[in-house]
Amino acid sequence: MALSSKTKAVLLGPLNKNNPILVQVLGICSSLAVTSKLEPAIVMAIAVTIVTAFGNVIISLLRKTIPNRIRIIVQLVVVASLVTIVSEILKAYAYDVNKQLSVFVGLIVTNCILMGRLEAFALGNGPWASFLDGIGNGLGYGWILVVLGFFRELLGSGTLMGYKVIPQSFYDAGYLNNGLMILPPMALLLIACLIWIHRAKNKDLQETTN
Amino acid sequence: MDAISLIVKSIFVDNMIFAYFLGMCSFLAVSKNVKTAVGLGIAVTFVLVLTLPINYLLENYILKPGALSWLGEEFAEVDLSVFSLIIFIAVIASFTQLVEMVIERFSPSLYHSLGIFLPLIAVNCAILGGSLFMQQREFPNIGTATAYAFGSGIGWMMAIVGMAAIREKLEYSDVPKPLKGLGITFILTSLMAIGFMSFSGINI
Amino acid sequence: MNTENNGYTILYASIMVIIVAIGLAFTHQSLSKQQTKNVEIDKMQQILRSLRIDADAKEAEEKYNEIIKNAYLIRPDGSKIEGSEGTKTTDPAFTIDIAKDKSKGLPVFEAEIDGSKKYVIPMAGKGLWGPIWGYLAINEDGSTVYGADFSHAGETPGLGAEIALPPFRNRFQGKQLIKDGEFKSIAVVKAGQTVEGQDYVDGISGGTITSKGVNAMLLNSVGEYKNFLLKLNAAHKNESEGQ
Repeated sequence: MALSSKTKAVLLGPLNKNNPILVQVLGICSSLAVTSKLEPAIVMAIAVTIVTAFGNVIISLLRKTIPNRIRIIVQLVVVASLVTIVSEILKAYAYDVNKQLSVFVGLIVTNCILMGRLEAFALGNGPWASFLDGIGNGLGYGWILVVLGFFRELLGSGTLMGYKVIPQSFYDAGYLNNGLMILPPMALLLIACLIWIHRAKNKDLQETTN
Repeated sequence: MDAISLIVKSIFVDNMIFAYFLGMCSFLAVSKNVKTAVGLGIAVTFVLVLTLPINYLLENYILKPGALSWLGEEFAEVDLSVFSLIIFIAVIASFTQLVEMVIERFSPSLYHSLGIFLPLIAVNCAILGGSLFMQQREFPNIGTATAYAFGSGIGWMMAIVGMAAIREKLEYSDVPKPLKGLGITFILTSLMAIGFMSFSGINI
Repeated sequence: MNTENNGYTILYASIMVIIVAIGLAFTHQSLSKQQTKNVEIDKMQQILRSLRIDADAKEAEEKYNEIIKNAYLIRPDGSKIEGSEGTKTTDPAFTIDIAKDKSKGLPVFEAEIDGSKKYVIPMAGKGLWGPIWGYLAINEDGSTVYGADFSHAGETPGLGAEIALPPFRNRFQGKQLIKDGEFKSIAVVKAGQTVEGQDYVDGISGGTITSKGVNAMLLNSVGEYKNFLLKLNAAHKNESEGQ
């Protein structure tokens, strides 16, 4: 299926120039605590993408019928029910990961990306475009999580998805896991590095004040 | 005594921002000057202290498996925990609306400077996070839950005010261009978090 | 249509609430069986890990049924509560959560590995951030630890969370709970330190509070089984002296 240039922009924009984390600073809350290992980071990315996409579609379908006064509440209810469903499914079929994610699955509800996209896009666009927008933003958010999870697990525990990747000979030669990587503050520092790289490439995104 | 140690612990050791990154969105966006930061901090604390006890009561007398047993034996088996997320967020959203109206009425200037972030308190992770942690940690009584809410709110406020104070001073620093604004804020938060980690060994 | 009048708003909200309630109740209903199953399997895996058996979720139940021969509740004085036997997931030994309720009795699981009997007892305590719990498998003499398993709700990854990993739990193998006929527990100490008069293992460096929590948990939770273990120990001694 050929995508028109507009749908392409809707889908791919959030991956780079309009990235929800790097540019819009949305949805960081829940993203950091789950990135100390790669696996929960991937599951979280998928969960957020699904919830954003379907939340967008539902709100977009309902957009002409929602009374303006209770708009926010309606959005929250839709998002909260989607998140509850996702968390129930995780509990049933991915129990181990669900245990690692603990309260952060529930916190998807307050992931600002969701509300941001519902307000800014789904209320004014058709279901198909909204779906793509949701997928795009979910993925844009997801790839950052995966990158963070990758580096934090690799450098912090020497494993990826729980499998050892740094050979024993490295440790014998004196290599040590960087325990600091697993601690929360390093996630922030890594995001700062990502922002640095991203903005060094996209000069138009640079801010002028501190 | 327990309540006091819980408050101290949730301010320093369990700080919402530095230990759990909750409420980062507004933390990053509204930390540009101290006055607004104080306002938002108070609003967050206020909403936390109001909603957490309410959610505590809902959780323990309606939602938890077996919580309805006060209605009679036949309700002892009812498990409504699947609705907890929706109910928590509904309580939070309605209280945010309330706070918004109160602030608009009594301090229009604060209302304008907080701008879009007032309604966003509803989706401030720190507030829902407080309720979810309350659910996970199973506090023994409503007093403890309130103390926890108060401590978390104050901890959040302290973090954002400290951040704003640093950023005000930062105006005169020469930061590499791509790091200006957002990037340097992340690095600062990270350094502050490392500082706060020194509290983590404290056992109160 | 006017979407802003009160009647419409209220109607809209009510319909939405009803649909959402039905939808969620349905999801929960259809998945809850699988969820309870997961929780049970997780517990079985923990018990099996304390017996040095790493079972994945699929084979855990089968292994558990094969190895656990008996389970029952005991009183604090060490005597068995009659009528509490049963290894099924619905029996009291499996369902009782000692972190919440010890009034009905203390669970003991009896396992058989390579022809010798092991006793598995649950433990519960507090770490830095929240609850920690685990299982301790003890040999027939009531003193020698065969294996241990620890879990936690939210200890710091890389530090306190290390208690859930094999390097830490393997340190307990072969340690003695009882010295000279007295219950001494096993101390968890800072790496390099030693303790007089009791067996000890190294704690987690950087996870001091969590290590202390494990130490306290061993002392308190296993301490509740003191009389039970001492009885086993005495019986075992008599038996070996008799031979």
